[in-house]
Amino acid sequence: MSALGTDSMKDDKKMAADGGFEPNIVGFLCNWCSYAGADLAGTSRMQYPPNVKIIRVPCSGRVNPLFILKCLMDGADGVLISGCHIGDCHYSEGNYYARRRFAVLKNFLEYIGIDPRRFQMSWVSAAEGDKWAKVVKEVVEDIRNAGPNTISAEKK
Amino acid sequence: MKKTVKKEALIALIENLMKDHEVVSPVETAGKGVFYRKIDKAKDVYLGPAFAVEPVKKFFLHPSEWICGCNKEEGTASPCPVPADDKKRVIFGVRPCEARGLVLLDKIFAPDDPAGYQDTSYIDNRSRSVIVGLACSVPDRTCFCVSLDGSPVETRGMDAVLFDMGDNFIVEILTEKGKSILGSLPGTIDAGSEKALEAAKEKTKKLVVKTVKAPDSLDASFKSDYWKKVSLSCLSCGVCTYLCPTCHCFDLVEEERKKLRCYDGCAFPDFTLETSGENPRPTKKERYRQRVFHKFDYFKKNFGENLCVGCGRCIRFCPVKIDISEVAAGAPIK
Amino acid sequence: MIEEIRQKAKELLAASKVDMVIGYRRSGDGVSTVPAFIDSAQDVDSLVWDQNCVYNLANYLREFPGKKIGVVAKGCDARAIVVLLQENQLERENLFIIGVECGVTDISEKCAACPRTVSAICDILIKEKGRKSGAPGNEKDAYAAVEALEARRAEERLGLWREEFSRCIRCYACRQVCPMCYCPKCVADQTMPAWFSKATSLEGNFAWNVTRAFHLAGRCVDCGECERACPVGIPLRDLNKKLEKEAKELYKYEAGSSVEAKPLFASYDKDDPKDFIK
Repeated sequence: MSALGTDSMKDDKKMAADGGFEPNIVGFLCNWCSYAGADLAGTSRMQYPPNVKIIRVPCSGRVNPLFILKCLMDGADGVLISGCHIGDCHYSEGNYYARRRFAVLKNFLEYIGIDPRRFQMSWVSAAEGDKWAKVVKEVVEDIRNAGPNTISAEKK
Repeated sequence: MKKTVKKEALIALIENLMKDHEVVSPVETAGKGVFYRKIDKAKDVYLGPAFAVEPVKKFFLHPSEWICGCNKEEGTASPCPVPADDKKRVIFGVRPCEARGLVLLDKIFAPDDPAGYQDTSYIDNRSRSVIVGLACSVPDRTCFCVSLDGSPVETRGMDAVLFDMGDNFIVEILTEKGKSILGSLPGTIDAGSEKALEAAKEKTKKLVVKTVKAPDSLDASFKSDYWKKVSLSCLSCGVCTYLCPTCHCFDLVEEERKKLRCYDGCAFPDFTLETSGENPRPTKKERYRQRVFHKFDYFKKNFGENLCVGCGRCIRFCPVKIDISEVAAGAPIK
Repeated sequence: MIEEIRQKAKELLAASKVDMVIGYRRSGDGVSTVPAFIDSAQDVDSLVWDQNCVYNLANYLREFPGKKIGVVAKGCDARAIVVLLQENQLERENLFIIGVECGVTDISEKCAACPRTVSAICDILIKEKGRKSGAPGNEKDAYAAVEALEARRAEERLGLWREEFSRCIRCYACRQVCPMCYCPKCVADQTMPAWFSKATSLEGNFAWNVTRAFHLAGRCVDCGECERACPVGIPLRDLNKKLEKEAKELYKYEAGSSVEAKPLFASYDKDDPKDFIK
């Protein structure tokens, strides 16, 4: 049982055809900017790695630190949060709060020994399909280098 | 059957036992206390005076025990067997109060009456384990076993027992199971050591200074405001219940196609919370009273004994030092 | 000093300025203390004050809504009250805060780096007689343990925390003893969704301890009660202190210093750090 449906992640950890590691990444994208940006990347037929599984949220400020922990504990290799650029938030200031909260979380995860590359943030506007593709490429590469997530390795 | 055994000989025996047994023993963790662990090096065995933080209960009633599960298949579900651990196990260093706790737990999970509820995993854990006790030599000031029909040197619930005599242990074998494990130890006992042992036992019993007069029945106090007063400082945490050698309440938890039996405790507000939102024990008063009643009243009515062995853990580890012995003894029963 | 505390408590109760005074009294063992809930002026003589008064009594204040409570508060306890007021958990007019200045006698390890300033929130401040105010603790040492850990390799840190969390028995004493842990339904107790495993598996323990610590970011006043209450000796303060350090370094924020200040994560600044964002 897993209320967020991430149950299958551990079982489905895919290895690429050549046996290399294909990271499983959860993306929390704000409805107003980044989700539309990702949409634009798609409709513009931009090529980028398929490793990010997107969950749409109203605002990057909606993302609870628990979401990140839950993803990492349930076997995701990395988490990406993406929202509107500072100043462009649909709710005026949601991304300001997100920025403050996640700066601390990132350092804290590092402190308890979780590779900081596993947790990433970006600002991508609705017009930045190209930036979204670039961010995903970078993030996937980063997390590929970080290797498979072993935080919950002992989970049976 | 008793014999005097050199400490090195015991360590050598444990080393040998580990080949075909699971060996559990208290292990000292620097700065953190003593914890029971499955050991892989005989020299890790700690048989000193300090008490383990968690009682040996957790090897019989696991804090989160997998009791059933199902396979993951498309569209259907089929039960999946829980892997059984049937390796022979020897547990060293079990204190008299903890062993007696097991005797009390037997009444609930493995009653003599075959028609009673028989808990298979508890019974399996019991039958695959040999308990080699360790008599206490330095009781803590929170210990009060003597007041509760116990003693720091008693042997109920053990298969064999060790008495620390300085350079040597005196080993007393109590059951066939104990003999199968420790029977091969060389040595005999002379009259002098026998006498020294008796003297040491008497001396240790006197070291248990805390005395409690547990009431015969708490009935009359049930509605008293006393319970509100004594529970005011309670934090509603699980320290006392989780560390108790006899507390055995649990919650069934479902996680990822598994059903788990996890420890739960009467101090938590969620323990009695019903789906409707109704909570029959809404405040600390009812919850704390429940714990005291279960220990010193309900269990006695059902089984003729107190459900407290006087190990003192709930007093030692209570973050706000609530003393169950004082609370029980002070209950207004007139 | 204790005479002044008793005097004040008696005065408050006799004049019905408060319904109850929460302080410390001697426990049955004759050495340690336990929280005392005194509701009559005749009982104030059971109040005591010494280095065994470890408990953070702010933890009990939320349990008496609508009642006027007098509370004996050390520096750290007063900071906790400030955070609770900041978060609208208490009514200031229902509180009478009897501030006590700790002497040079350290109550525990946490006291070594305590600034020893008792918050201005107190209605009365009782000082230790015949002694100079305790010298402020060495601020530099405050983060020694955190910095030592930061200097180690990531795998070592993960290994170390795993080892520590593996002992966790999920008794939630750390949560219950914490004045800031007052969520009506803790995430650890939620089942829909189940945020993390309720089993005492390493995974569930890891998630619980990390979540607990992070929820206290910018709120923990370092009273150290969680670490003291933990029966299995997990160094919880090393987690809390890291977050305290981050709040201080990134946002110059110190929990419990002002009732008027906006809580750390309920505020922002246009110049907050942004280098980690792509």
